[in-house]
Amino acid sequence: MTTDFEPVIIAFCCHYCAYTAADMAGSQRISYPPNVQIIRVPCSGKVDIIHILKAFENGADGVYVAGCLSGDCHFKTGNIKAARHVAQAAKLLASVGIESDRVQMVNLSAGMGERFAEIAMEMTEKIRKLGPSPVKNPILTAN
Amino acid sequence: MKTTDRFQSEDRVLVIGGGIGGIKTALDLAEAQKQVILVDKANAIGGLMTLLDRTFPTNNCDLCTVSPTLSETSRSQYIDLMPLTRLIQLTGEAGNFTATLATAPRYIDLNRCTACGECHRQFPECVNFNPGLDHRAPTCMRYPQATPQAYSIAIDQCRDIGALSACCPADAILPRDSENRFDIHAASVVLAPGASIFDPKNLDCFSYGTEPDVLTSLEYERMMSASGPTQGKLVCPSDGRTPEKIAWIQCVGSRGMQKGAASYCSSVCCMFAIKEAIVTKERFKDSMETTVFYMDMRTFGKDYEGYYERSRKDYGVQFVRSRPHSVFRKPGDTQLTITYASVEDSTLNQEHFDLVVLATGFQISEDVRELAKQIGVDLNCHGFAQTPAFHSSETSRPGVYVCGMFESPKDIPETMIQASAAACRASAHVQAKQAEDASDTDIIPERDVTGEEPRIGVFICDCGENIGSVIDVPGLAAYAKTFPGVVTAEGVGHGCSRESMNHIEQTIIDQKLNRVVIGGCSPRTHETRFQDLLRRAGLNRYLLEMANLRDQNAWVHANQPAEANINARQMIWAAVSSVKKARALSDNHLSINTDVLVVGGGVTGMTAAIRLADQGYKVFLAERRSMLGGTANLIRSTLEGDDVQSFVRDLKARTLAHSRIQVIFNAFIVDHSGMPGMFQTGMQVGPRMFYRQIRHGVTIMSTGALPNRPTDFLLGSHAAVMTQLDADALLADSPRAASGWNNVVMIQCVGSRQPGNPNCSRVCCQAAIKNALKILEKNPETRIFILYRDMRTYGFQEDYYRMAREKGVIFVRYERESPPTVQAAGTQVAVIFPDPVLGRSISVTADALLLSTGFISDDESTEDLSAIFKLTRTPDGYFLEDHIKLRPVDLSRPGFYLAGTAHSPRLIRESIAQAEAAAARAQTLLSRKSIELGAEVARVDSKKCAACLICVRACPFGIPVINADGYSEIDPAKCHGCGVCASECPAKAIQLMRFEDDQILSKLLGLLERRVA
Repeated sequence: MTTDFEPVIIAFCCHYCAYTAADMAGSQRISYPPNVQIIRVPCSGKVDIIHILKAFENGADGVYVAGCLSGDCHFKTGNIKAARHVAQAAKLLASVGIESDRVQMVNLSAGMGERFAEIAMEMTEKIRKLGPSPVKNPILTAN
Repeated sequence: MKTTDRFQSEDRVLVIGGGIGGIKTALDLAEAQKQVILVDKANAIGGLMTLLDRTFPTNNCDLCTVSPTLSETSRSQYIDLMPLTRLIQLTGEAGNFTATLATAPRYIDLNRCTACGECHRQFPECVNFNPGLDHRAPTCMRYPQATPQAYSIAIDQCRDIGALSACCPADAILPRDSENRFDIHAASVVLAPGASIFDPKNLDCFSYGTEPDVLTSLEYERMMSASGPTQGKLVCPSDGRTPEKIAWIQCVGSRGMQKGAASYCSSVCCMFAIKEAIVTKERFKDSMETTVFYMDMRTFGKDYEGYYERSRKDYGVQFVRSRPHSVFRKPGDTQLTITYASVEDSTLNQEHFDLVVLATGFQISEDVRELAKQIGVDLNCHGFAQTPAFHSSETSRPGVYVCGMFESPKDIPETMIQASAAACRASAHVQAKQAEDASDTDIIPERDVTGEEPRIGVFICDCGENIGSVIDVPGLAAYAKTFPGVVTAEGVGHGCSRESMNHIEQTIIDQKLNRVVIGGCSPRTHETRFQDLLRRAGLNRYLLEMANLRDQNAWVHANQPAEANINARQMIWAAVSSVKKARALSDNHLSINTDVLVVGGGVTGMTAAIRLADQGYKVFLAERRSMLGGTANLIRSTLEGDDVQSFVRDLKARTLAHSRIQVIFNAFIVDHSGMPGMFQTGMQVGPRMFYRQIRHGVTIMSTGALPNRPTDFLLGSHAAVMTQLDADALLADSPRAASGWNNVVMIQCVGSRQPGNPNCSRVCCQAAIKNALKILEKNPETRIFILYRDMRTYGFQEDYYRMAREKGVIFVRYERESPPTVQAAGTQVAVIFPDPVLGRSISVTADALLLSTGFISDDESTEDLSAIFKLTRTPDGYFLEDHIKLRPVDLSRPGFYLAGTAHSPRLIRESIAQAEAAAARAQTLLSRKSIELGAEVARVDSKKCAACLICVRACPFGIPVINADGYSEIDPAKCHGCGVCASECPAKAIQLMRFEDDQILSKLLGLLERRVA
């Protein structure tokens, strides 16, 4: 059943590094799985635990937060705070029976277009192996 | 490109050279509302810095720090950017120059080119990202973030011009383009042409050019860079294997070390090599051995010494003090062999390495020398711009200024400082012009859309083939039209073309739209343009959402068009959902007080005050002592022999006589409040300490540092022991004093580069050389020993170091672990030190012992002032600037600027440059009538706030405070807009404007909903 499963993955990307890296992957025409949907935030530290949980509640199979490399955060420590939010979200997910591997923090610099594509690929593979999220989205099931 | 009429007005500055220095000068001028023409002979701006992988000492990636600066340049309405352009001739005089410029043909119409890359995809052999490491190509965009984002073609290398022209979907290729010569007027000129890198090909001893595994440091940098030729994979070019041992050889092309080398020190190569070694170790850890061969480790910049220490202790980079003799490959070997003599025992050693990196120095190219000759700017004996003793940005031709490498070899922070200084000097010839008045009068007023039902317009670009070849744009527009709230949806071709922009603007007005979605390229590059469009159409600029259909969909999913089309629908739906929640935001305006407070009346403070007062600003100069001049009062002459005292006397007189400068002596600052543009600072003044409050818009911190005076080596307890500063005064004031000195010993790094004051004091090596030469001038028979750890005579100071050696000064190295010892011997002192060459201790009975004690931070005053002004400090007590590389005079608190030895130890000339830089930066704020506060700021809902302090702790910048009413208050003038507080607030009492929770969640749901529709 999971063989042709195409996961839906949300990537929260910080403006200064990750989102720029995603654009860079584009200008270098490096392809990655279309399963990844990007949401731009000013800083990875802006991503709320609630945003992550809402993503799962509404049908995402995986979520990752992408910030600047450690030490390079445009807002000094936002990426470190983001890693903490992600860890906390993973714990909450695990406590309700959702694999904590479905959520991840990644770091990359603005110039790393290739790495951005790699991460998208790795994440898609990982979630594909895990199968669909156990959360059933009412909007999806209604159809 | 703007109309040429504007070029007929004189009120502008011409900046030659679009490297980081020229960009900084142009930006500072533009920010101060002065018109600039920035020309560069290359087809894109950015210069050398954009070729670097990472920069010291933060090891940050350059692309992310410099690229916002670059796009800022291209969009600024005050800057006319002219790539591929050279200055041919300069006539006239300061205030009224006529410059003849020549623009080389690009063969591309910039107004049409969309940087789609189609031409280089069809001519794939054509792209050149990596100067020096791969072949030159007909179509060339130098690096991915190049500005302007357009290509250029070397037409003579193209075999089928017709096919090339035909491949362009925007019809932007102009095969018959030709050189364009024209005259422009300018009030002043800044030269920032940069330097070129020494070519080690002529050095047969290092096998560069014959052995592929011998690289220059810049080539190594490109190999390590993610945008480089190997995408950041480090390999030996000879056979592609991963290296395990890498050597750096310092001073290649500098310090007169090789054939054809320059005699000066290139100043930056030591840090450059250490950085490369650290970055390499960071990546490869213990599987990589890194060794740096050097003569003197010259880590004299702010906090550079700690970086050097960390490279040894934390990263295990090895340092070998030696000058390698040769690099070669033995027949049959895969590795390279370096032969070198150890300085300790002079034995000849051999060691094998996989890669050898030559730390090549900088030189001024023939082209630049020719340019200088052409426009009548004198060069020094090394081919760099000749500048007067105290003013490093002045050339021999009045009205023509200089910054960056063309003045002397220097690193990025020093270049940034000098660039701002040049902006300060050049701007004195130019009137500020308020932003084109059209924006106030011609534009329809902003319409209030609150309470209106959403009337959304969706405009989808095909960007030629870029989006159009993958995404069914008409289908997508038809689909978007079905969304609730969408009034109109259509394809607009190239949305950023003038026709489409006009069409969208008219549609917004005609259809009374109150929200707009653009489906096209990245908001990073185009959001401002569309925001401006909304504003022109009478809408608030924040009622816009962009869906990045090109960079993050069509370009990356071209091989899966079905999925790309589904994604495009989701992206447009998400943008529509999110834009419904968007609300009008105001960039708050605040009218400002243009008075200036300068704290500290040394040479730095006086210089900044005079520069700003000359520009018409009122300046309060607060000095805690009862006299001006600071440390410069103690210095008689410079290394070059210039008279410091007469210079300082003149500066004091000008300061005191200036009608717009009010000097406040005996001023102790006691309180401070307000925000940039409207500060209040309280001080207690005069012998009676009465209280006085100053209102001002900006603050310049020039509080200086203290000449260090440790009690080491009998200083203060023996008459023969003195500091270099004491000796400088003694030699000038009582010339006979030194005539009886037969033996003189100097000890370097006394009280510096050691725990407690870990950094290099920068000025002491040249001070020792200066005094040694002066003693020898009076008495050539004197025997002088200089005991040193590393001689740091950077830049042109190296010439004086060589002169001292030639005149017989004996230089003896010592290690920090085994310093010399000093004993009193009657009126003389006995100095005992180990001689590494002889391998035993030597005792010299000295008539005078001169200690190079350098600087120490004025800890007491910087501690108080940092608490009062809320400024951050380094662990060793200097003020900490906002960005060590790119913003070296801006403090992290907006409206505060830093200059002189309060920043770090520096020479008078360097302090003056920084004072002028601070004045230029201050003008960027002062020249506005009001300051704009960004809209992306956190707002607290006081009703929800429980005053739990989480935001106070979470904010990376310490902005939130619990106010007197008992809730958290976030000053919009100080908020940086990261939103960390909003995500951590447990009561959800904080929202980040533009990224409010309901906006993010709408977007999230938009991406997830309807997927199975």
